[in-house]
Amino acid sequence: MSERVATVIKPVLASRRRLPAGREVLLLATLAVLVGLISLGSHGAFWSRVNLDNLFVGSAITVIPAIGMTVVILTGGIDVSTGSVLGLTAAIGGTCFAAGWSLAATVPIFLASGAVLGLINALLIINGRIPPVIATLGTLSIYRMLVFIVLGSNWITAIPPALTTIFVVDHLLFLPVVAVIALVFLIGAALFLRHFRWGRHVYALGNNEEAARLAGIRPERIKLAAYVMLGLLTGFAALLTLGQSPMVQTSTGSGFVLQVIAAVVLGGTALSGGRGTMLGTLLGTLVVQVVDDGIVLLRIQPFWGGVALGAVILAAIGLSAHHEIRGA
Amino acid sequence: MHASGFDRTRPLLLLVMAAAALGGFALGHPGIVSTQNLDSMAVFGIEIGMIALGQTLVICGGDTGIDLSVGAIAGLAQVILGRLLHLDLAWPVAIGMTLLAGLVLGGINAVAISWFRIPPIIATLATLFGYQGLALVLTGGINIDLTHESPLFLAIGQGHVLGLPLQLVALYLPLLAAFAFLQHGTRFGRALYLAGTNDRAADLAGLRASRIRAATYVLCGLVSTIAGIVGAARLGTARPDAAGEANLISIAIVVLGGTGIFGGTGSVIGTALATVVIGIVDYGLSYNDFNPIYQAGVIGVILIGVILVENPFVAWRDSRRTNGA
Repeated sequence: MSERVATVIKPVLASRRRLPAGREVLLLATLAVLVGLISLGSHGAFWSRVNLDNLFVGSAITVIPAIGMTVVILTGGIDVSTGSVLGLTAAIGGTCFAAGWSLAATVPIFLASGAVLGLINALLIINGRIPPVIATLGTLSIYRMLVFIVLGSNWITAIPPALTTIFVVDHLLFLPVVAVIALVFLIGAALFLRHFRWGRHVYALGNNEEAARLAGIRPERIKLAAYVMLGLLTGFAALLTLGQSPMVQTSTGSGFVLQVIAAVVLGGTALSGGRGTMLGTLLGTLVVQVVDDGIVLLRIQPFWGGVALGAVILAAIGLSAHHEIRGA
Repeated sequence: MHASGFDRTRPLLLLVMAAAALGGFALGHPGIVSTQNLDSMAVFGIEIGMIALGQTLVICGGDTGIDLSVGAIAGLAQVILGRLLHLDLAWPVAIGMTLLAGLVLGGINAVAISWFRIPPIIATLATLFGYQGLALVLTGGINIDLTHESPLFLAIGQGHVLGLPLQLVALYLPLLAAFAFLQHGTRFGRALYLAGTNDRAADLAGLRASRIRAATYVLCGLVSTIAGIVGAARLGTARPDAAGEANLISIAIVVLGGTGIFGGTGSVIGTALATVVIGIVDYGLSYNDFNPIYQAGVIGVILIGVILVENPFVAWRDSRRTNGA
């Protein structure tokens, strides 16, 4: 079986090596220009410890689900319910905190509820044979309704301060702990995709599902794992979000998925599946976060944030999409 | 099955669903089946119904066609209209300019998707951001009051003809007729079905599939704009976030109406009937004082439920047909 898999994978390896380099250089250049403009415009306030820490924490919280989203998109799928998954796990975990549960006891609740919500998405898509956009557009509103049911019209503010201290305030190697965790996850995911058999199967599946199936790969299992992993990572991000700002409300996480998908797609992951890297996702996340940060630092009316992000996505993808995105 | 791929049992199913939904709500509150409530139901359903007409063509064109920016277009159109009216332009001029703006907004989607080859989900997600942001920038996040505008303008959303809402008789039904004719009676309609069914075949037949699809995004932008204008006239305000859930609801309506999500099938007639069903459900929930979040949630359940029920049925029918042949 492994020989047959190899015949599928070899061309995939070649195409992966060739494509993203240009995109990553482009992103680095974009990032350099943005940082340059913002440091000039903000008279150096960009480089203050506080701003950099905020930027790193925000990037970490976006990039952790973005790792899962990258894998989901690599398999040819998408999940637009991530913001509602984040909101619902935060509501469930927050309710546990409010009931006096300890941090250690509640962390598994966050991870497990995220994973279960991801599993529901996966089952609808794989067993229910609903196209991923439609299925997750449905669960987006269903999960949001559940947030409302769990919270009522209350806010939860009883978040243990230790959460903030451990992940956001404490530093390791000059970075907030959460940023270090995000980097470890990113490197782990990149190594997994590059060197492990299942990682190679993800690319093979995204390039040609039928060929992958004939080569003995079981697409359903890989897709299932991808959506569950995205849910799990989103559950973890929900925990970190409460460390960043210790409050749960019914709107927690709405709009978040747009940031995540924007980061992944900016990073060069093709929506048709089979192409993309974790390095691209990291750079895409940084661009999105730096744009957001710049709008605050340069005291631009915050409403321009959406316009800027929309324009950046259209420009970045439009420029390279002509022959790249659709592949054919 | 019709040559266009429209399932003929669907209208019957939708009528039964509409009757069941209305009956269900009437069991709890018999008062819901009054002339006044039915009138309000129509008024509430018309705007999303118009958007769903455009969404039908977009989805029917295939190639993962979808327009997530419809609500943002409706909101931005309202805001543009509101700003123009506050410049003391005559209302027909302001509406004319807003419609032009709507064509441009739909055109941006079309160019991004058909010329720059950006996948529709991403392109319309990006314009969703952009249009929503622009609407907020133009208003500073504050609603624009239009209650002192010309009564003739406000009549677009509040007037009645022969006891029926003006926007139903003068706008929705003519639009429905025009879209139905476009889809079932013209070369464009047939080309759209072919493009949705088989991109390559359409190109080989000399039809430019990507141009046909581009036209659907422009039309979708236009009807979303009209819906935005009607909404502004109905409430006498222009709100940047006027139609926040319109993408979810319009897609749910299209799918419920029997348009296949992979393109090449369906009809705006099914969409119109599904609009009645969703309109009743939506109105019934708000009549019973459910928070709008529940309405979106229930529509999410309907969206997923319909496909879950339909998939095995379609598979069964297809297998019977293959075995029979």
